[in-house]
Amino acid sequence: METTYRERFAALPAPDRRLLVAMASAALAALALGILGGVVTAAARAGFLDIIPNTGYRFLTLHGVSIFFYWLFTVQAALLLGFAAVEEGRGLAWRGAAWAGFALILSGFGLSTASAFLGMPPLYNGTPELASQTPQAMLAFDLGYLLLGAGLMVLPVSAIATLLAPRLQGRQERMSSVGFALFVWAGFLMVSGFAALHAFLPGALWVLGLAPFPASQGTDWHIVFHNMHYLPLMATVILWYVLMRELTGVKSVFGERFSKIVFSMYLVFVPPTSLYHMFLEPDLPGAVRVAGSMLSLFVSVPTLTAFLIIVASLEVHARSHGGRGLFGWIRLLPWRNPAMAAVGVAALSMALGITFAFVLIQERLAPLLSDTFFVPGYFHFFTLGTVSLTLLAALAVVLPAIGGRALWRPGLLRWMPWLAFAGLLVFGAAGVTAGYLGVPRRVIDVAYQNQAPVLWQGLMAAVGIGGAVMALALAIFAAGIAMSLLPQRRSTPHAAPATVAWGAVALRPGVTAWVGPLSVLLIVGAMYVFTALGFELMQTLPVTAIGGGGGH
Amino acid sequence: MNEDFWLVAPITVVWAILAVAYALAPWGDMIGYAWVWGFGSVLFAGLAGLLAWRRAGGGGGKEVCDVGHGRS
Repeated sequence: METTYRERFAALPAPDRRLLVAMASAALAALALGILGGVVTAAARAGFLDIIPNTGYRFLTLHGVSIFFYWLFTVQAALLLGFAAVEEGRGLAWRGAAWAGFALILSGFGLSTASAFLGMPPLYNGTPELASQTPQAMLAFDLGYLLLGAGLMVLPVSAIATLLAPRLQGRQERMSSVGFALFVWAGFLMVSGFAALHAFLPGALWVLGLAPFPASQGTDWHIVFHNMHYLPLMATVILWYVLMRELTGVKSVFGERFSKIVFSMYLVFVPPTSLYHMFLEPDLPGAVRVAGSMLSLFVSVPTLTAFLIIVASLEVHARSHGGRGLFGWIRLLPWRNPAMAAVGVAALSMALGITFAFVLIQERLAPLLSDTFFVPGYFHFFTLGTVSLTLLAALAVVLPAIGGRALWRPGLLRWMPWLAFAGLLVFGAAGVTAGYLGVPRRVIDVAYQNQAPVLWQGLMAAVGIGGAVMALALAIFAAGIAMSLLPQRRSTPHAAPATVAWGAVALRPGVTAWVGPLSVLLIVGAMYVFTALGFELMQTLPVTAIGGGGGH
Repeated sequence: MNEDFWLVAPITVVWAILAVAYALAPWGDMIGYAWVWGFGSVLFAGLAGLLAWRRAGGGGGKEVCDVGHGRS
């Protein structure tokens, strides 16, 4: 009889549970601060809130730093440790490294957050030129990321030691697919920590008068940012893989080894594709631009392959359990479970995010769109719709198990991902349209003394409304999950979470699965349409883009 | 060498090639890319070494996959 992840987390040693609770609490606090920053920024851009631009930039900094760095990476670190600890069920090895790494990340969170309200707001990339006016604030900002980077290098050591322990003790010949995925995820986290150290140490030393001006920080930022894009996506597909086992009992029909190949593909494909971040550099040779464009096409190969594995595996199992129609089998999935709803919305958001990402990273369109609202318009499909909802789905399984209690109001929570998706569609549609029309990003007031087109403000109002809806839904969803962290007043029997158990039943011979391939075909078609639309719109604009080197 | 080693080894090789290419690139001041992917290559080489190590030092354990609570 297989044990569920819920049972495995419930059986974790108490010190591991304390660590995971502390990390999850810090991650959810970062998410709450980030949501607050995002709501204020969106409301200011929409004209609903009258604040001076500098205050707007402070909240934009709070939003970007809290969400993109401390929410996403603290929760990833927590889930990495948690799933590594339950992989063999013996808890974490080298727990001290895990605590030390977490302490470093937490210290970085404090410094980075404080720096948003000291001196010039540095947004989330901390351009060193800003330090000329307020060097102490920039030093705090740089030290925050340095502590985060150090934490990301130290903490995964515990996960790696945990995953290697059975092998080194002669109890395991090869890892499971999940164990292998966690192993390479941990390695990639360490490399990303190193990238953060490499990017921000020269700036800190410069402020202290110990090194020359960090002229290459912009380029070094690109590589940090590239990793910070793809690590959460890698985490997302690993968690989809794990959650589908938990929610449906389904494992990959392609076998463990193929899943491992896909997870290792992430690390083979992602680094060579990083060239597209350089498209805004005016001195980049044409041949390199072409090579970068071609390489960028590979960036979603592992994500889409993992998506295909998961969807095809679910479809053949659902059809073997009576699912009918091209899409009818989808109804059999356990949608009453909030984690399932979150993963479903995450998959839809990923399709939209990938479509627009491919429009953006084309060599001809990147210089035209990279400094417009197209960027926040599309990447919230990833950060909120895909990644944050998946991470919250995992917490919705893990935290109630650790706390020994049922998830708070699952009947309400299961609707929150869909409400967030509704807000996201409004935010994304208005944002992408605004980007096509040239509305700049990282600007709090887009009215330009009423010289800007009237449509710009209307689109920003839609962004504000959509942003408010998705923020509210995400906040309720996260708060409901966070309720599992509170101590239970009395021991009461609670209903098991809604799941199905398809894994133990033999598959029906000859069953086919078409939704996965059709979804990919649809994504490719949509990419073509939106690329063509982009070129058509750009050709009507009376501007020529030569690239400004601003980067993302 | 088992499959885990052979799936990590290509990461090491690809990242090493990339690091050398960026170190030698005459445009764009890409030495930062070279340092990061170079560090990653060395790290994953170390991890691959740990994956291969059991054969030499761990003794002839039984073939077990996914020992975690019967989820093989």
